Amino acid sequence: MCDPRKRVSYKLGWLAGILAAGLLAATAAADEKKSRLPKSPPADNVKITPEAWKTGPKTPATPREIDQLLKTLLAKDNISPAPLTTDEQFIRRATLDLTGHLPVPADVDEFTADKDPQKRAKLIDRLLDSDEYARHWARYWRDVMLSKATAQQIFLRAPRTIGLEAWLFDQFKANKHWGEIAREIITATGTLSLQDPADSGAAGFLAAHFGPDAANERAADTARVFLGMQIQCAQCHDHPFDVWKRNQFHEMAAFYSRTRERRFGMGQQAGITITAANAGEHQMPSLEDPKKSTRVDPRFLLGGAIPQDQPDPARRKALADFVTSRDNYWFAAAYVNRIWGELMGQAFYQPVDDMGPQKDAFLPELLVRLALSFKAGNYDMKALFRQVMNSETYQHQIRLGESTGQHMHFAASYPTRLRADALWESLVNVLGTFKDPPRQQGGRQGQLGAAAMAFFRGLGTTEGQFKREFGFDPSTKPDEVEGSIPQALLLMNHPMVNDKIKAKDTNLLSRILKSYPDDKDALRILYLRTLARKPTDREMEKCNNYLAKVGNRAEAYEDLLWALINSTEFQTKR
Amino acid sequence: MGIQSLMQVRTNGDGVVSRRTFLRNVAVGAAGFSALGWKDAVTLHAEELRKQGMACILLFMNGGPSQFETWDPKPGTKTGGPTQAMSTAVDGIQIAEGWTRVAKVMKDIAIIRSMTNKEGAHPRAQYQLHTGYVPLGAVKYPALGSIVANEIGSPDSDLPNFVSVGGQGLAASGIGSGFLGMSVAPFLVGNAQQLPNNVALPRDVNDKRFDRRLGVLQDLEEDFAKSGGQQRVEDHKVLYQNASRMIRSPRLKAFDVGQEKDAVRDAYGRTPFGQGCLLARRLVEAGVTFVEVEVGGWDTHQDNFNAVKRQQGIVDPAFGTLITELKEKGMLDRTLVIWMGEFGRTPNINARTGRDHYPRAFNVALAGAGIKGGRVIGSTNDSGTVVASRPVSVPDLFCTFYKALKINPRKENISDLRRPIKIVDGGQAVEELFT
Repeated sequence: MCDPRKRVSYKLGWLAGILAAGLLAATAAADEKKSRLPKSPPADNVKITPEAWKTGPKTPATPREIDQLLKTLLAKDNISPAPLTTDEQFIRRATLDLTGHLPVPADVDEFTADKDPQKRAKLIDRLLDSDEYARHWARYWRDVMLSKATAQQIFLRAPRTIGLEAWLFDQFKANKHWGEIAREIITATGTLSLQDPADSGAAGFLAAHFGPDAANERAADTARVFLGMQIQCAQCHDHPFDVWKRNQFHEMAAFYSRTRERRFGMGQQAGITITAANAGEHQMPSLEDPKKSTRVDPRFLLGGAIPQDQPDPARRKALADFVTSRDNYWFAAAYVNRIWGELMGQAFYQPVDDMGPQKDAFLPELLVRLALSFKAGNYDMKALFRQVMNSETYQHQIRLGESTGQHMHFAASYPTRLRADALWESLVNVLGTFKDPPRQQGGRQGQLGAAAMAFFRGLGTTEGQFKREFGFDPSTKPDEVEGSIPQALLLMNHPMVNDKIKAKDTNLLSRILKSYPDDKDALRILYLRTLARKPTDREMEKCNNYLAKVGNRAEAYEDLLWALINSTEFQTKR
Repeated sequence: MGIQSLMQVRTNGDGVVSRRTFLRNVAVGAAGFSALGWKDAVTLHAEELRKQGMACILLFMNGGPSQFETWDPKPGTKTGGPTQAMSTAVDGIQIAEGWTRVAKVMKDIAIIRSMTNKEGAHPRAQYQLHTGYVPLGAVKYPALGSIVANEIGSPDSDLPNFVSVGGQGLAASGIGSGFLGMSVAPFLVGNAQQLPNNVALPRDVNDKRFDRRLGVLQDLEEDFAKSGGQQRVEDHKVLYQNASRMIRSPRLKAFDVGQEKDAVRDAYGRTPFGQGCLLARRLVEAGVTFVEVEVGGWDTHQDNFNAVKRQQGIVDPAFGTLITELKEKGMLDRTLVIWMGEFGRTPNINARTGRDHYPRAFNVALAGAGIKGGRVIGSTNDSGTVVASRPVSVPDLFCTFYKALKINPRKENISDLRRPIKIVDGGQAVEELFT
């Protein structure tokens, strides 16, 4: 299970962290400024780009190839892979992964009964063609791209959140390739406003930062999102855990040194325009004398400079060229690492946006092969989904190790928590749409566009409350995402949730009880609606015992429905 | 191996330390490599702190309260505007007129008139005045309340250790428990005059039925646990147990200000902030470690003088009564009370009779937890444009908070990206407040 080399390097890294921290403390009394700044590890013999990236196969990887390669890699470890998912498990997982929705009971029944040997592949294709796919992944990348925003005025948050999601939706619907998307985001200009947030949605990423530190923040976030690397430590000192030097950070920031934003209007008229200045160079502040600084010209982190004095469009085009270059391993690897992590529950590098030449990875050989495959397909995102999801590797059942954080080396799938959007869809799927009582908006009417109105109204509704409580940064390591007491309280006691659980009026339960007088059928449909699967024999027995114990059919079913909604499984992708 | 046995952190099969257990067990910093060994030193210290039962109430003046119209009036000057000064219970200390309740308890309050900072934008300044750090995209710094809850809150408490009243806007600015995680996240109370969201059982579910529901939930979880979800199910169970403990806690009624006599509720003022301060007193009395109560309306870019009068009507009775009650109940010695906003306001009165943002010189008020009241720290010049003596930075202020609460500001927590983050970076506590 444990590669001894990895174990030692992790322990050493941890120990080094302790000692470094201890050392920092011990020398704190002494020359504070100088001895505090850690040096990056020596860069002389470090290969920034893996050898296999240059020499490996230049063809897309088939699902079979993925399985074979993993089998070879795991052979020495003597790990037996988990069994394959049943049809029921597969349709729930694939539908949640691609669309953030639960499959409806009719689809589950149809899929399990279907005798077509190609049915799993066809299901994947159908899901990839849906609008829900585009919406689900637009929301994922919206959350990723805006998670480190520092510009938090509410009237600026709304247009960039709405605008970026809308723009991403269009790109995914048209299956634009990841290289084109990255390029458009890095070179984006235009205006985002409450009146028209979807115009220039691509600028939402850059609009997440403004002010004197904007170039630094944009450079750091570009590296994080598109190269999977955290370089902002190097803003102030050499990076303690990777090869990046301080001047390299600032050379990246120099690409954005002429990018400007203009905020305008107040309240409902507010907006932000991403534009350019005619002059301006990036200044790296001196460590000795904060009043002094040196001019820094743009140079790409992984190598590559441009002539001096370039205007903003040329700088950003150059940055986009470097980032999306077919030589750039980390661009392909960062995307693959994330998507693989979302699909398998665990990734090669964890956290998914903490990659780098000196970071430890699980089974990096497989990552390189997949990155080559992604490049060979010209960064076609749907193609990658197809390759991975049709492999047996993807289709294993879930399994946890001795501790929640243990890496399964992809011999099994890892159960992860559903994101807020998906969990809300599941809840609505079971209980129906939530109609909050109309509220007095008072003063917000008028010229706001429909999307903006919905955004603000949404903040105060049950849905808004729910998504606030259950939301989390998608780049967080899965075993570090924790539940909270307000989450538990909401699902246990929220008056509207409870009202919709009751077997009355047109609620789900009332319809089930009327249509299925036989408990065997009623329980079956209840499980299909909430967990997209049939109950096991043991579960049937437990439910029947419970029904007998309570005596009152409606009351007992309400309790069962409550239990299923509050269950771990309801919140988990398995 | 030696270090591991001292610290007893959990490692998984690959030798990777679980961040959560790591955070709970490591204290690196000035305590350092003491002879006792880290775990022993941490455990002893923590026990000591919990026995002392320190608590903190933060009254956050959202929007940036004008120092000229609160604790640093400049009557008769151009920048002072029409605002007059008034005497207080302490000879020699004058505050802006109209703050009668606060003036009465000035013997217990210390004012810092020489706060100075650089952040003049609401979100950044609010973030900084909550965490002690300027926002840096990569690191999610924990708020003051989360640090305090983490350091001296009891981990077995059935009530949350950090409660935030009326502060929903702040979460959006990224102010929360940051990398310290959910256990010390602020528990939000939107409306102080009713129980928090979702703590009340639904109307048709009594205790018995609730228990029954919990029972069948656990029962049905078994199959999922066996088929690969074991640890998840266990974590979920613990969470639901904690939530149920909270609902059932005998201390839950601390959240119900309706239990107070009308006279007391009136003294605080029947406003959201007034009742929020009353709630804070009740919660601290019940053992909650940190309560933040927020009031907005301080961003007086126009019609400053009338606007502040309205604010005064809300904040004066609430703040004054809070100090009075804490003193009367013998709670003031162990409760730090902080009154502050994210910056002050401009000496220059603008064309709309308003004042704009001004971090260069502003004021903060403190009481309790060993802070000696009835004194003023620092001063501004006659026109109030600059700090004239004893400047106090935000890190200085935070070191002062932690000194009062007996928390080591140099202690380092490990962030989720393996960076050691000091509780406060730099700064020195204002010693004159304690001697």
